[in-house]
Amino acid sequence: MRIPTAVRPAPAPWQQWWVLSGRVIRPTLRNGELLTPPAASVLFTIGFYIPLKQLMGNFLDGMSNYAQYLLPLIVLQAIAFAAVSASFRSATDAVLGINHRFGSMPIAPLTPLTARLSASVFRCSSALLFAILCGHVIGFRFYNGAEVTTAFWLLALMIGVLLSLLGDLVGSATRNPEATSHLLMLPMLVFGLLSVGVQPVEQFPGWIQPFVRNQPISQFIYALRALAGDSTPAAGAVNWSVIGPALGWLVGTIAIVLPLYAYQSSRRR
Amino acid sequence: MSNTDKSVVVSHVSKSFGDVVALRDISFEVGRGEVIGLLGPNGAGKTTMVDILSTLSLPDGGSAEIAGYDVVSDPAGVRRSIMLTGQHVALDDMLTGRENLVLFGRLQGLNRHEARSRSDDLLAEFDLSHAADRLISTYSGGMRRRIDIACGLVVRPEVAFLDEPTTGLDPRSRQSVWDLVADFKSEGIATLLTTQYLEEADALSDRIIVIDHGAVIAVGTADSLKERTGGTYCEIVPRNFKDLPAVADALGELLSDKSRAVLTSSSDRLSIPAPDGATTLAKALLLLEAAHIELADIALRRPSLDDVFLALTDETISDIGPKPSSAKSAR
Repeated sequence: MRIPTAVRPAPAPWQQWWVLSGRVIRPTLRNGELLTPPAASVLFTIGFYIPLKQLMGNFLDGMSNYAQYLLPLIVLQAIAFAAVSASFRSATDAVLGINHRFGSMPIAPLTPLTARLSASVFRCSSALLFAILCGHVIGFRFYNGAEVTTAFWLLALMIGVLLSLLGDLVGSATRNPEATSHLLMLPMLVFGLLSVGVQPVEQFPGWIQPFVRNQPISQFIYALRALAGDSTPAAGAVNWSVIGPALGWLVGTIAIVLPLYAYQSSRRR
Repeated sequence: MSNTDKSVVVSHVSKSFGDVVALRDISFEVGRGEVIGLLGPNGAGKTTMVDILSTLSLPDGGSAEIAGYDVVSDPAGVRRSIMLTGQHVALDDMLTGRENLVLFGRLQGLNRHEARSRSDDLLAEFDLSHAADRLISTYSGGMRRRIDIACGLVVRPEVAFLDEPTTGLDPRSRQSVWDLVADFKSEGIATLLTTQYLEEADALSDRIIVIDHGAVIAVGTADSLKERTGGTYCEIVPRNFKDLPAVADALGELLSDKSRAVLTSSSDRLSIPAPDGATTLAKALLLLEAAHIELADIALRRPSLDDVFLALTDETISDIGPKPSSAKSAR
């Protein structure tokens, strides 16, 4: 008999979250996609550090070496790269009709998103780990003790969650995997290069300095740089005026994006 | 459950998208184990109806219950009671057939062991064991459709929505879907089948609901709908088409005015109403023999569901007049 006669079990939300996360992670183990975050970290490190070290070595705002100065940008680029794959995934789900099908099943509206975000955090963690390892090779070190170092990792991961959430929203809305990836990589590159990650704000032309100083990537870099510390005091102090704006961008954006997503996914027209 | 013998109760459901009326005042019921064919041309509102009943869309007015759960106030209850296979297969291409089945089993609350053994059973039942560990992206169209339906059966549904389930399938895969509908029936599962293949609705459905321009234009068994378009008729083909006027003369009273009116100089055959079936045929045969007219063929015919469908949808066009072109965009 093809049709089971047993009483339907009650679906458990945590079990649904677990299997939906596994659904996203399992293929990456099989098709080698899991190797892309480490590879990207190595490429970003080589691509920024080698050509820029001689050029920028004299403009470090008093920091001890360029590796210490550059690492936050490498971390952010690596995490952004990992987060874009979240958008690719959500756009694929949308276009295949999987979201539609889940909508007619006993699954809470936010469970598929939570699962994709968990898988994305898994990718971002691996990207972060390899970015730090690469940084270690070129001379980056943590200087501020265990607690502040933990805060560095947490902040970097929270940025990963934010970017994954943004990517997921854009992906679900556009329903076009390829276009979504391009749509997201380009701003990442532009914001990354027009930030204080590569050189101090004073090295930019005067007219663009307000943008460079205040845009979110720069604020994230200020905060990460301060949390990582330096052998000199030039990395910045760990206080609200340095960390606060980064947290503000983080919380503010999540506060806007999450209701948007909840609206988009629970909407029954 | 408020109404145990009715799996689906739809009353006065309406739905518009902006100015476009997709459904107007739709009412019908489906009993346990009953198969309902939902027929209609593209844009008639079939998919909108299924979307509302599967909680993907909200009705503007009216109400609907699935297995006793209201689609508006208790969507969770509805979602626990249905299976839905859409026109397009919705599965994870990056997983194998078995992994998809286990995934859906776990999503429906089965534990790991139950989900695995259930997926083994379904793979065997749907003749997919040989491809169980291949990625879905390598499957043929028929295999994809079979695994898609199998994923809807990891747990027992009370109501199955099959939205054009055999579109694009080869005859063998189509037959296996048809067999499945028979299984649903014997298991007491109500089935709502939307299709454009009239022979499919004819073969599988207990009752047929024809919708056009968002409204129900006919409800009944395939037989009763066929009666509505004129019932059985007798088709007569003379060996020489030039004899056709002579045939018409010879038949006299048996040839209705309506049938006479459609004859042209290029006709090669004519039809007469045959309310008495074989008796009418025998009378016609006697009259034609007496007139010494040689025949190529004479036979009793019943209207196909295609005839019914065309007649019914024609009627609504002439009844209501031409539709504004925007009505075509209604889903």
